Amino acid sequence: MASRQIREKALNMLRSLPRVGIYNIRDNPGSRKTQKRGRGQHGGDKHGAGNKGSGQRQNYMRLGYETGNNPFYLRFPSENYYKGHHLKRQYPPLSLESLQTLIDLNRIDTSKPIDLAEIVKSGCYTFYPDEKQFGVHLTDEGANIFQAKVNIEVQWASETVIAAIEKNGGTITTAYFDPHSLFLLKNPKRYFQSGQAIPRRMIPPPDAIEYYTDASKRGYLADPEKVSQARLELAQKFGYELPKIEDDPDYEMLCERKDPRQIFYGLEPGWIINLKDEVILKPKDEQLIQYYSS
Amino acid sequence: MAAVWRSCGPFLKGFAGKTSQIPNNAADFIGRLRPVPVLILPVNYSSYAKSPFVYKIEERYNYDVVKKPIEWKYVERLLPFETIPNPLIKDKYPSGWVPPKEEAKELPYFIHRSKNHFLPVYLKISLRGSKKISIIRKIDGDIWLLNDELKKFLKDKNKMYVETRVHELAQFIEVKGDYVIDIRNWALSKGF
Repeated sequence: MASRQIREKALNMLRSLPRVGIYNIRDNPGSRKTQKRGRGQHGGDKHGAGNKGSGQRQNYMRLGYETGNNPFYLRFPSENYYKGHHLKRQYPPLSLESLQTLIDLNRIDTSKPIDLAEIVKSGCYTFYPDEKQFGVHLTDEGANIFQAKVNIEVQWASETVIAAIEKNGGTITTAYFDPHSLFLLKNPKRYFQSGQAIPRRMIPPPDAIEYYTDASKRGYLADPEKVSQARLELAQKFGYELPKIEDDPDYEMLCERKDPRQIFYGLEPGWIINLKDEVILKPKDEQLIQYYSS
Repeated sequence: MAAVWRSCGPFLKGFAGKTSQIPNNAADFIGRLRPVPVLILPVNYSSYAKSPFVYKIEERYNYDVVKKPIEWKYVERLLPFETIPNPLIKDKYPSGWVPPKEEAKELPYFIHRSKNHFLPVYLKISLRGSKKISIIRKIDGDIWLLNDELKKFLKDKNKMYVETRVHELAQFIEVKGDYVIDIRNWALSKGF
């Protein structure tokens, strides 16, 4: 009698309870045990570290050390092509295919000029300025499927990439940013919240000046007339008809460029952005204006 | 005399102006005292910008304060997305991405898209690359019917029996082997 009552009570309770789901189940009590390391005379034997020597003492030797032998990495004369690799600038890649995917998924707006801040904002690309990474290298993977008309600013681009973008009526610029500016471009909101004035962009180091003044690389310091000539030359080389951007309805957007001292589009160095009150502080002092315009 | 002593340091502050109270041997005692070095404790600011060298600048320089200027649109452009934006309806997507179709909602089962608007079909590789398992996540509705249809499709396509594991509670199906491309194409053909 009693058992039937209990059974009915239990069934009634089950009916009133919420459905069993992934959010309200848990393991049986005591079903999981954390493994403990024994400490006693025989309980704590070797703890899996083995018998004698560096294994037992767990003094992990440095990488490449061969316990007194002439190590393998020192046995032969070094190869010179890695010399200074830790000082070289790195440009983490982004393919044209990924860029096209970001545009298709509405992560990047092509009606506005695209720069490094916009690419990072999409959430699918990141870089680390403190690890000698100096921005984006646009690679030619997916150059045959790329169909967007963009005004893009990258830090490194090959000839194929430039051709793929200009074929669709877009424009591309390669621009240098110093590490401090790159921190700003990576997370502009954090910098604005810190209440500091937007700094000037520095000029490229001596070994990068050649690249960024080259019209065939679409460098931002190149002569605009030489750039338009290089555009024609590249169109002839790859055998496509160069679309006239002068007749384009988005001509103004396609021709928008940053000043060599400017980090963000439309915002000048020296300005302070107040996100809370939606206020921009522009310097009026002549000393400041002269400093930021130089 | 008192003026000289006063400059010697804090030790004699109590005696300032009270020359009569100073004991007779005080002058000898003071002669041995060195000037007390001023202790300068190093102050660590969290950054140079937060040091007084910088935050006092605002008093020195003149700024033009503009509320919601025309340039504010450039600032808004830089602010991060609050949520992942939804894709717009376009004639074609050159990247190969396919939008989900409305007709898929009428089927007895449904596969939701991931937060990045891709199909949740993945390949799990374990045991140093020797074990490959394709997994379909986010399945709603009749998961067993989906399992049967998918199994039949994969068997016809590859002319080989495929092993599957259905997890009804966690809403996923695991397929033994690398069938990610086949499964993805099948799901796209159904309209998910």
